Amino acid sequence: MKFISTILLQTKRNLQKTWPTQFMTLLTVSLSVLIFSFFFLIYMNMIKAGENLKDDLRLTIYLEDEPVQEMQMELVRKITNFSPVDEIRFTSREEAFKSLAAQLGDNVDVLDDLDPSFLPPSIEVYPKKNLNTLAQIQRFSEYLASLPGAIKVQYGQEWVERFNYFTKLLRIIVFLSGCLLIMTTTFMVAYTIRLAVVARQAELEILRLLGATNSYIRTPFLIEGFLQGLLGSSLGLLALFFLFSWIQIRFTGPGILQLIDFTFFSQNMIGLIITASIILCTVGGFSSLRKFMRI
Amino acid sequence: MNTQPGNKSIIEIFKATKIYTPDVVALEDISLSVPYGEMLFVTGMSGAGKTTLLKLICGMEHPDKGLVEVSGRNLTQIKDKEIPKFRQQIGMAYQDFKLLPDRTVTQNIAMAMEVSYQNIRTIKRRVTELLQKLRLEHKHDSLAGKLSRGEQQRVAIARSVANSPSLILADEPTGNLDSRTTRLVMDLFEQCNNAGATVIIATHDEAIYKKSSHRVLELHGGTIISQEDKSISTIDNMP
Repeated sequence: MKFISTILLQTKRNLQKTWPTQFMTLLTVSLSVLIFSFFFLIYMNMIKAGENLKDDLRLTIYLEDEPVQEMQMELVRKITNFSPVDEIRFTSREEAFKSLAAQLGDNVDVLDDLDPSFLPPSIEVYPKKNLNTLAQIQRFSEYLASLPGAIKVQYGQEWVERFNYFTKLLRIIVFLSGCLLIMTTTFMVAYTIRLAVVARQAELEILRLLGATNSYIRTPFLIEGFLQGLLGSSLGLLALFFLFSWIQIRFTGPGILQLIDFTFFSQNMIGLIITASIILCTVGGFSSLRKFMRI
Repeated sequence: MNTQPGNKSIIEIFKATKIYTPDVVALEDISLSVPYGEMLFVTGMSGAGKTTLLKLICGMEHPDKGLVEVSGRNLTQIKDKEIPKFRQQIGMAYQDFKLLPDRTVTQNIAMAMEVSYQNIRTIKRRVTELLQKLRLEHKHDSLAGKLSRGEQQRVAIARSVANSPSLILADEPTGNLDSRTTRLVMDLFEQCNNAGATVIIATHDEAIYKKSSHRVLELHGGTIISQEDKSISTIDNMP
């Protein structure tokens, strides 16, 4: 108890003495956490949206001719042998025409002069959720295209590919902002503590002569690092939450945000970001002490 | 260090030599034994080696040759992690005070007790007591840097005895004090000595040791030239 109260008193004195530098470091840590968690939040939501899109994945094989019963069974066997599927649905020319007519609604009269058999028969394949990458989907699509009687396979390639590239880009941005976070938190805190150590060299020298232990001298600096991590990340996340709430209020309506159900970080994720920041800042402080305060 | 071991000397120095680069001999072949609870005056002109002797005893410096033992510990072999505990048991009043100018008088004195994690209430009580003894109570909230040399010296002395150390080393503790304040300081050292602390005072102020009944050791050019033990009324010249 005496140790804790003495150390806290010492920490309070340190903070009072170096508050302008500490404040600037706190702002830098907050900003770094804000930048990182902003991109990370988008990334997390895109991943979630990707999962939802995967649920809706459907590959349509357009066929030259309507397959007979035996042929249908053979196609099902070949498809399921290549990859497990949830459902395979055959659509005849007549069904395709009816479906199109239903979709046109009041404009159905545009089909009046057309032959009801002008649409090709097709097979709709609903794969299980084991197709995790674009490459796997492409491989499955290529296989389906090679089936006897297949003319073309469609699965919204352009949309899936763009989404996939966007997710990849986000992953790079998250990685870079993560590096930025590590560098700023670790180096800024290390630098701040280094400045504090240098500025207080005379005091530390006297403390050593009076018999201060290493923990007496070092612990307040480590607590400073801990507080920088805790307060910096909390402020950064709080700012992100306000930004998130503001975007949600301002941008509700038709658009991309309607397609993706944006959610904020879970409590576990918030805890993880704060813990990581605390560890980074404390490690930064510790490395600085090891380097500049040999006692 | 608080408990007196079988060995009756708190300090044993055997043929210690200290040379500062390039070739300044501060102490040469010094041998000295200080029993527990003794009050000893180390005198001599400036540059005689008084400060170096105190620095060897408190472990700030190590001898180039010879042995320095404090409370049975060989200071050249003391482990790094043992140094803080060792220093907490020594109170040193430095010639240059070593105060923090931007801290108050109270904070400067309290530092010595804070490093050994003393209770805040105990610290406050002890600091108030010392300020009263040294007539500095009205300065408790003043910054050390704003005090006169004499006041700073008294703060340094108060800090050296604050933690009730078993060994007190004072380097020219009355150099900036008038005779009345000198008496206050010497009374404080006497009280500490009576309470069981070993006190070593390096001084060239004859007034404070001439009338005292304690041993006086005279240094000249880094060697002990005389030891006067008034309690047994003899003068020993060291070889």
